Amino acid sequence: MGEVEEETIEFNWGKKRGVGGKKKDVQFYESFTYDGVEYILFDSVYLYKEGEPEPYIGVGLANVNPLEALAGKCNVICISKDHRNPQPLDDEVQMADFVFYRTFDVAHRTISDKIDDTIAGIHVKFIFNKIDPQKPAGVLKPGFDEKGVSGNDTAIKKVVPLSGQKDRDCVTVKSDGKYVDSLVKESVDSKPSLVKQKCSVGGKLASSVDGQETTKSNGRLEKTIPQSKVKENAESKDSVIKRKSLSGQFASRKDVGFGETDKSGDRQQSISDEKAILRSKVDSNLGECEGRKVFVREVEVEQEVQSSHENCRLEEKPSKKAKMDDSCKVSYGETNSMHKCVSDGGESKTSSQIEVATNNKSKLKLAMEPYRKEEVPSKKMKLDENPSKPSNGKLRKESSLDSPNVDIKVDSRIMEVTRRPDADKSRWFRGIPWEERMKSAHDQGTLVLLQNLDPALTSAEVEDIVWHGFKENCTAKMVQRTAFSSPYYGQAYVIFKTREAAEMAVRKLDQGCLLLSNGRPLVASIGNPCFPEKKPTFYGHLVVDQHRVQSQRDMKDAVSTSHCSQPNNIEYDMAMEWCLLQERADCSWKMLYRRQGEEVKKLKAKLKSK
Amino acid sequence: MGSPAEEDYASFEERVGRTVYFDNLSPQVTESVLRTALDQYATVKNVKFIPNYTEPRNSPQCALVELDSLKKVKEIILVTAQHPFMMTGMPRPVRACPAEVEMFDDHPVKPGRKISCCWLDPRDPDFQIAKELKHITRRHASEAAFIHKHQMEEEKNLSDQQSLILKGNYKKFKMINSIMADGTARRLARRYHLRVADD
Repeated sequence: MGEVEEETIEFNWGKKRGVGGKKKDVQFYESFTYDGVEYILFDSVYLYKEGEPEPYIGVGLANVNPLEALAGKCNVICISKDHRNPQPLDDEVQMADFVFYRTFDVAHRTISDKIDDTIAGIHVKFIFNKIDPQKPAGVLKPGFDEKGVSGNDTAIKKVVPLSGQKDRDCVTVKSDGKYVDSLVKESVDSKPSLVKQKCSVGGKLASSVDGQETTKSNGRLEKTIPQSKVKENAESKDSVIKRKSLSGQFASRKDVGFGETDKSGDRQQSISDEKAILRSKVDSNLGECEGRKVFVREVEVEQEVQSSHENCRLEEKPSKKAKMDDSCKVSYGETNSMHKCVSDGGESKTSSQIEVATNNKSKLKLAMEPYRKEEVPSKKMKLDENPSKPSNGKLRKESSLDSPNVDIKVDSRIMEVTRRPDADKSRWFRGIPWEERMKSAHDQGTLVLLQNLDPALTSAEVEDIVWHGFKENCTAKMVQRTAFSSPYYGQAYVIFKTREAAEMAVRKLDQGCLLLSNGRPLVASIGNPCFPEKKPTFYGHLVVDQHRVQSQRDMKDAVSTSHCSQPNNIEYDMAMEWCLLQERADCSWKMLYRRQGEEVKKLKAKLKSK
Repeated sequence: MGSPAEEDYASFEERVGRTVYFDNLSPQVTESVLRTALDQYATVKNVKFIPNYTEPRNSPQCALVELDSLKKVKEIILVTAQHPFMMTGMPRPVRACPAEVEMFDDHPVKPGRKISCCWLDPRDPDFQIAKELKHITRRHASEAAFIHKHQMEEEKNLSDQQSLILKGNYKKFKMINSIMADGTARRLARRYHLRVADD
């Protein structure tokens, strides 16, 4: 931070628009690429200004700005009911960084609900939401429509997403297969939509969807069963590889999808994303229900269906789910207990059920068709160049709400902490003074104090650890060491994006144990920092408050300048007393830290793994 | 030699070597105060205060002062160790020590260090030990906080005590001054037939 960043940031002009200016010496471009992000005319962006604590947001920005001011893209949605405005979907609004529905006239200083046809010379269609077929919204819509058609019974609807969830194993493979270049984010994005398609299809044809699923892969499912058995004891990595091999035709594509990133991370994210969306969907069905409740209900419904004879596939699902749990327990907490019990006894059952399922071929065709139809938009989604990261994070956070008892099952694989994927983005906002950000985070309850860190860690490394431990983006700052800090314990303040995320992290660390290298389990508490007071008191500087008659000259000099005290003075004697006090304090710190160090060492020696 | 990261780190370590850590600074000490206080010994290149969010309130300020050479750092530490060095006030002296890597807000990652983390399974025997370690971490933190608090109290006591002494001294000198000024001393001397040397 202190160092000047000398790295040059990549910049390229994009699509050319024309030539202009008086002498035709100005070139106009419609887009450019800056730091790996493509900006197109009328994009919404963050503009950072020196000295301002918050970045500006520009919607349909067209004035002249220095390139350096550009801090990143911003997802702004217009929620105005204006008929000219392409209405956003609930999910879109939920994923937006900012929403707006009014305008502020800078000339008249009035706020207005009406939006004129042109604003600052820019046609309003650039200010309203873009009609963009590539946007995820376009994909989600058919899902909703479909549901409208088939949806008659909320219970079934709720069940089906869950079955879709599991089916996603195959679905994912399928979708990945279609993708030419599946960025992790994008494939993640597409999953929920696919699941939703499932559900819409399934609204009517719950069982036939299952049939379709099985038959589509015909032999595949049969293979899935032994595989899922293996998975229960095997590492999830293996499981991915295995699935790859068994999914045959799609195997190569999957490599691309999952190969480059942390496998479990990717999948976990996808699941939690998906769940969040499922939940929001259920929410929209049931109106204002608390998320947790809804979720519980889902589970209940699922159990009911399980007991019902008709849906053989659902029975098989738990075993599969359990397998998935190996890689993504964290976000799955709530349903775990159920999975467990089913998967324990379920194996023998499932294999027989598969046979039943594969017999369902008659229904298969029915199901197949809508499924196909749905694939088209999902493909489009992949084209979406702008996977909005912040919104993704939001969704993830919501899903984390669903899992209060996270540590029932724990993924105990050792993760090597590497740079988190979008670590570079956050550096744009480092300009805002930390103290202010910490204050507002403290007010919002998003501040967490982490303890028992290696004191040698850097703030960025702490952010990476949080990312690997919770899949949460955050901003962290190590507490700087002073002469009386403990040499064993490093501390850091971490600002999470939401209060829920902060509370989740604290709870998880309280119940579970995130063991860092060299045997340090992370400790967290909601941060409660003390901020410097306006008029701090300081012990040890004495002033004679009346006019200084005695030793007037000495006093004046002493206060205004710094000096070495000489032993012929009362101040020297007093200074010696302070030195003595300091020595005593040093001794007590030393003794305390020595004893603490021994205690920790003794305990750490008991750890098997280090 | 070495990768850019290693070179980076080496140059950072060199900077650490040229830096003095000061504490027991009064809140009135600013960068310019530090600069003027130290320019009689060395060229001050950079001053950074270490913000304090965890310690008890009102603990003295700490600062990192980057100088032009390692030799100057040693000199300053020696001077402040031999004589009580006071900045903007008396009689509490400041303290100087060599700076350490972790004191820096912006210290780079040490090259070659690998961090790993894992969520422990509750059935893992290590789980219980880790729980104990967490517990001990919290306990140690509160122990340190207690000592800190205690130390602040002692500082306050010493400060109060010295303030009393100073006030007493002040009163004494003022009284002597006034009886010399208004002739009381001379009158008394005459009354008791003492000779007061008049200078």
